[in-house]
Amino acid sequence: MVVLNQKVLEEINRIKSKYHDSRSCLLPALYIFQREYGWLSPEALEAVGEILNIPKATVKGVSTFYAMFSHKPTGRHLIQLCTNVACMLMGGERLLDVLREQYGLEPNITTPDNRFSLVIMECIGACDTAPAMLVDTDFHGNLTGEKVIDILEKYK
Amino acid sequence: MANTIKLTIDGKEIHAPEGMNLIDAAELGGIHIPNLCYLKGLKGIGACRLCMVEVEGLKAPMIACTTKVKEGMAVRTKTEKVLETRKFVIDLILSMHPLDCMTCTKAGVCNLQNYAYDFEIKESNFTRKKFGFSIDEANPFIKRDPDYCVLCGRCVRVCKNQGTNVLEFMGRGVGSKVTTANDKPLHESGCTFCGSCVDVCPVNALLEADRWRRGREWDYDKVKSVCLLCGNACDISVSTKDSRLVKVNAGAADGSPEKYICAYGRFGFDCIEADTRVRVPMKRVNGQLQETTWEDALGIVAKEMKKAGENAGFITPAGILNEDALTLKRLASDAVKTKNVDSTASLYGDESTLLSGGADLESADLFVLVGLNPNQWKRALPALDATIRRRVNAGAKLITINSAEPNISSVAAVNLVGDEPETLRALVKAIMDKGIKADGELASAVSDAPVTEMVEAAAGLFVGAKNPVILSSPALYPAAANVTLLKGAAVSMPVESNAKGIILMGIKKEGKTYGEMTTEGMKLLYAVGEVPLSRRPSTDFLIVQTSHLTEIAKQADVVLPAAAYLEADGTIVDYLGRLKQLAKAVEPAGEARSHREIFVALSEAMGTPLKEAKESETKKLAKMKPVVAFNPFTRREELEGATNEIMQSMNMHVIDGSRLLWLTESEKALA
Ligand code: SF4
Ligand code: SF4
Ligand code: SF4
Ligand code: FES
Repeated sequence: MVVLNQKVLEEINRIKSKYHDSRSCLLPALYIFQREYGWLSPEALEAVGEILNIPKATVKGVSTFYAMFSHKPTGRHLIQLCTNVACMLMGGERLLDVLREQYGLEPNITTPDNRFSLVIMECIGACDTAPAMLVDTDFHGNLTGEKVIDILEKYK
Repeated sequence: MANTIKLTIDGKEIHAPEGMNLIDAAELGGIHIPNLCYLKGLKGIGACRLCMVEVEGLKAPMIACTTKVKEGMAVRTKTEKVLETRKFVIDLILSMHPLDCMTCTKAGVCNLQNYAYDFEIKESNFTRKKFGFSIDEANPFIKRDPDYCVLCGRCVRVCKNQGTNVLEFMGRGVGSKVTTANDKPLHESGCTFCGSCVDVCPVNALLEADRWRRGREWDYDKVKSVCLLCGNACDISVSTKDSRLVKVNAGAADGSPEKYICAYGRFGFDCIEADTRVRVPMKRVNGQLQETTWEDALGIVAKEMKKAGENAGFITPAGILNEDALTLKRLASDAVKTKNVDSTASLYGDESTLLSGGADLESADLFVLVGLNPNQWKRALPALDATIRRRVNAGAKLITINSAEPNISSVAAVNLVGDEPETLRALVKAIMDKGIKADGELASAVSDAPVTEMVEAAAGLFVGAKNPVILSSPALYPAAANVTLLKGAAVSMPVESNAKGIILMGIKKEGKTYGEMTTEGMKLLYAVGEVPLSRRPSTDFLIVQTSHLTEIAKQADVVLPAAAYLEADGTIVDYLGRLKQLAKAVEPAGEARSHREIFVALSEAMGTPLKEAKESETKKLAKMKPVVAFNPFTRREELEGATNEIMQSMNMHVIDGSRLLWLTESEKALA
């Protein structure tokens, strides 16, 4: 069972007061859980359903629709790399090779030292600065191979 | 009434009601627009893209399931362009579909197969993908095989719409899968095994668990009938093969909010072939029940009944058919000459509390639920629960009035917890305060009722509603019906399928009541059907006429084998006062006969031959003329017995003799 800390509960209650129905709170609530626990465990999904009074199946359906939600434990830092059209044209897939060589990363894999997890994204809305990635909640654009390594070295 | 719109589809002139989508409109003209994700009664979602049509004047093809009819519209459903698109869609789906038609149970009624046939697609032009999802066959009711799933979402939507919320799309794109939360088997996911999802699945992804090699749809004979296992009396469609029952499906019209049956209705039919069936007459010899002939058994019973005369008593559940009931009434009054004939309906209702009017649930925009606690998961009036949730999902509102909190109140707009008659009084007052007039008696009865904010809110909904329907437990019906003096219709909800019919046929308090006959000691007691008794009441002679060897039958002096439900035809009057026709699906087991055949045979054995009641006679009696008049705001406490317990024990033979036992056992294990 997820141990719900007071902070999470308070945050969700604050969100609840902002929307007119509980379904609208679902995405923000999932986001909070992911941020707090690193991933959305079955227990976390159940807890979200209970707090918001939304059927379990609906919660799971919504959460699995979005690639940004993780249903497996992730490493300390989550790299979300875009390889959709704009990023691909600008070399996004080459960055994948860099991650592979440098850290042994593959899509949906966590490094053995639990430092990084990698997810491939379908567009993170940054086509103007392609290729781009998110590390945790930090955005990084106009990437090159060297830049990626420089940036990631700051995340221990 | 909605306006009528004139349009043409494939050159054919069609008159369709305003607001109708093109798939339904085409159907009015006998034109089928291929579709996979559309479900009559639910809004089109435009997911499968199969229903494309061309509309004159518009460049791009339109999605028929989400396009509404317009005056003068000219639609074409078979142009080259749409045929090509449609073929492409089918081709894509087939690339992920097992091509198992030769052994697939769904062959013949599978939409995918039909469309592939129409387009002459033998094999997909795309690379084949296979997911190898695991099959869920851990329960004896439904087999779920996601590898066949075409992701149409029908099952997800029916399950959601009726409020059970078990299935959902997980993931997205080609890899998405329809499954339960956490991909658990159905029986660990809050599934009620109603099988609504099975009824709508266009392919072989959801199917009755025992269908493998038990015939394809075209092998079956089908009859429309009615489930008699609870007060909902749902329409069913029964399939038989080689004179044996194979499956039961929901029988109401597509798109009706009443198109639902619960696990009892769908899977209880196993009990027809259970070991506990009584197949031949039996009599007690030296303390033991022994098989005997009909002639012998009838002779004994006739003699005993003559002897007992007016001290004989007949009891029956209120789930027997009208024709059986009317013949029983005649047997009692004309042959045996006793007034003592009564049904279990008297435990929870009588003429004034059960014989309500009807109501149109499909157009109801407000439901007021008084003293009822329907619950699909507990299988307490499950179809009522599903119907109300479907209507609520379609925009209707629900007000619950109950001294406890009913399960369904979670979808109620206003939930009024408290003494029901008092709450009703306050509600009427609040409605009158909003300007709806009532006559003096009602007005003075409510003048001092305290109106709370919640009651005020409920009254607001009532005043704004066009077709409010009040559904009430019999004990509260007289009080609840007062509301209809202002507006709307009120329905009294019995727990048994033919409670209203039984009373209309004249089985109502004349001599001793059911309660009196089972407690006060009778010279002779004749129990028809599966009465909820486990211990023999004090009586000199006990006759049990039953389909199954129930606890009480084991203690009888004579047991007469009766046809079970699905083995007899006739009529009932359902909770909405509708006369419903039941067709016999299979012949009675062994030497069993219908109740009325036995009654007639007995009358002959007694030397006072009677005629079997005909449907033409019962039809005349089956009309209800409810009186709309003011009643005091009180509850009929004596009628508030343990109705759920009555149901439980009454359907015991069905559960024990069918795969439903698995359900009750596993629920017990979980509890
Ligand atoms: S059987 Fe009924 S409750 Fe279970 S998944 Fe199917 S529709 Fe939902
Ligand atoms: S299981 Fe059947 S009804 Fe459900 S989405 Fe798949 S094909 Fe459609
Ligand atoms: S709800 Fe009642 S009448 Fe309907 S199928 Fe279930 S048991 Fe039968
Ligand atoms: S039926 Fe219209 S898109 Fe599926």
